[in-house]
Amino acid sequence: MLAEDLKRALYMAVIEGDPEKALGYARELLNTGFDVKQIVTDVLAPAMRVVGEMYERGEYFIADLIASAEAFKQVFDNVLKPRLSSSAASKGVVAVFGTVRGDIHELGKNIAKALFEAEGFEVIDLGVDVPPERFAEVVESRKARVVGLSALMTTTMVEQARVIEELKRRGLRERVIVVAGGAPVTEDWVRKIGADICGDDAFKALKKVKELLGVV
Amino acid sequence: MPKPSLTTLSRGEALEIHSRALDLLSRVGVRFEDPEVAKILLDAGAVRTDDRVLIPEEMVGEALKNVPKKIDLYDRDGKKVATLGDGALIFNPGSAAIKILDYGATEPRTPTLEDLKNLVVVVENLEFMDAQSTALVPGDTPIEIRDAVRLYPILRYSRKPIITGAFTVENLPVMLEMLKVVREDAWRRPFTIFDACPSPPLSWSRVTSRNVVDLAKAGIPSEIISMPGLGATAPVTIVGAATLHHAEVLSGIVLAQAVSRGAPVIYGGSPALMHPRYGTPLIVAPESLLVSLIYRDLARFLELPSHAYMGLSDSKLVDYQAGAEEAYSALAAALAGFDVVSGPGMLEFESVQSLEKLVLDNEVCGLVKRVSRGFGMSVEEIAVEVVEETVLRKGGNFLLHPHTRRYLRREVHVPRVWDATPRSRWGMRSVYEEAHATVLKLLKEGPYHELSPDVLAELDKVYERLWRGAGSEPKYV
Repeated sequence: MLAEDLKRALYMAVIEGDPEKALGYARELLNTGFDVKQIVTDVLAPAMRVVGEMYERGEYFIADLIASAEAFKQVFDNVLKPRLSSSAASKGVVAVFGTVRGDIHELGKNIAKALFEAEGFEVIDLGVDVPPERFAEVVESRKARVVGLSALMTTTMVEQARVIEELKRRGLRERVIVVAGGAPVTEDWVRKIGADICGDDAFKALKKVKELLGVV
Repeated sequence: MPKPSLTTLSRGEALEIHSRALDLLSRVGVRFEDPEVAKILLDAGAVRTDDRVLIPEEMVGEALKNVPKKIDLYDRDGKKVATLGDGALIFNPGSAAIKILDYGATEPRTPTLEDLKNLVVVVENLEFMDAQSTALVPGDTPIEIRDAVRLYPILRYSRKPIITGAFTVENLPVMLEMLKVVREDAWRRPFTIFDACPSPPLSWSRVTSRNVVDLAKAGIPSEIISMPGLGATAPVTIVGAATLHHAEVLSGIVLAQAVSRGAPVIYGGSPALMHPRYGTPLIVAPESLLVSLIYRDLARFLELPSHAYMGLSDSKLVDYQAGAEEAYSALAAALAGFDVVSGPGMLEFESVQSLEKLVLDNEVCGLVKRVSRGFGMSVEEIAVEVVEETVLRKGGNFLLHPHTRRYLRREVHVPRVWDATPRSRWGMRSVYEEAHATVLKLLKEGPYHELSPDVLAELDKVYERLWRGAGSEPKYV
């Protein structure tokens, strides 16, 4: 299969939520010379974005989302992660990611996590429905340089502000770059709550984080 | 495949009501306003007494032998839609409303031909409306052609089968001609059903009886819609009204078969309780509904395709009463196994249509169809191995099992307009507002399944002749 066909096949396998096929195509892609970052940025992330859009349009249900997330996760954990040599200067930089309290959407956070890991970050994933105190605790204990707060709903965005307050309260705010992420997040909102980076787009967010860290 | 069903009469009870109705037909008989129609029956063996026609039992028996037990229904473009007689559950808008209720209005207004076109486009794009109907009587058209003009926007913009009817003797041939220019074999593969209503008790007007005669001659399916008014034009007792209803429908079947042996006829009805206090005709009163359920079983007893006026409301607004009456009558109709169910969109004693209600009723029809479809019983659907695997090895989460995705779409009906969102995703809008948004979207985006230009040109010729005949310039929509 040609590289473009393989990319397409992997893309479709993730959208269709078929982990077995996805694993096979991902392995073949690596063998044809693609690197982890290309597979994540060119194939997996766009596929997961489409899955999210299909869900929003009502074409995909929760079971479909989970199947796609599973395909993504298996490819990432079993095929890509072992290849991560993290040549980039961001190697070893700790980033704490989580979806804020009251919100259980993790698609965006998972894509960001994959991208950051592909860049060599050590991502600590706190999962979903994470209270502000938990973010602050882990930032402190793991000496994180980046914290990513994901919120997919306008009603839970306010939790991002609460996490920042908690970081300030513990004197941690200046030690971390705060990424406020999720579809409803805007630059205005980021300024308003005093975050550093608008993570409405994981690719853009990664670039900005690297700029702030001076590792570009 | 197990599916829920609703049966009201035992075979013995059906036989008893049938026998009593035969008794009515042979002893009390039926009055035909049109002597020529009466003559058809008299020539075929009926007996005259004063101004009534007595129909002997043998005549009914003969007619029931000849009337088709199944009718294949097609769409405008010739694709088969359903076989009536198998409980096809063809939902279609309640027909011939003289008013339309605009969004947010409390007073309905007289509809226009443009309103009918809009209704047609909405219905064309509502998934669970299986047929169109000539649902509005457009007030901006000449009164003498108001029945026939209604076919035009439907034929032009919709592929779905059509439930219709004539208000005149003269326009029926024009309507049939319109069908024929749209599809040459509209006779052999019918895509229209014409309603014809006896006038209770036990009489037929000139127009509707002549319609039955002309439809039988043409071989186009007619739907005999008896309309007993409990406590007014029929006994107040449920079984009394049902017996009278049955006799009237049988008289229509006998007439059609006397004209043309094998003429397709659907056993229909629209019983109504006269409100004891206000005198209003309640179509969805429980008593009316019971009469419908009874005659459904009588149609089943005679193995005839059946029709009901259910899935509608007598409320004046698209409100709680409208939703409740819609849902309970639509579900009853579905579980009873009717072939054709007219009613969606309808309010206020079969006189007012609402586009928003049509959208909401479509939702009800979807739910009801899901319930009546039942479920499969294959080993894979019983899913013991899936349970075993998930419980013992997959942590008890069925969401992750491929079985869930394999059956999800087949098994689960997901409402379109009904609100099922978590509060965090709720748009703070009522379903009535959602329905209005849907109406606007459908009117803007369609799609409109328009006739091909050459066929439309032919249709336009017949349509123009219809208008000129009434001394008017044709109005196109």
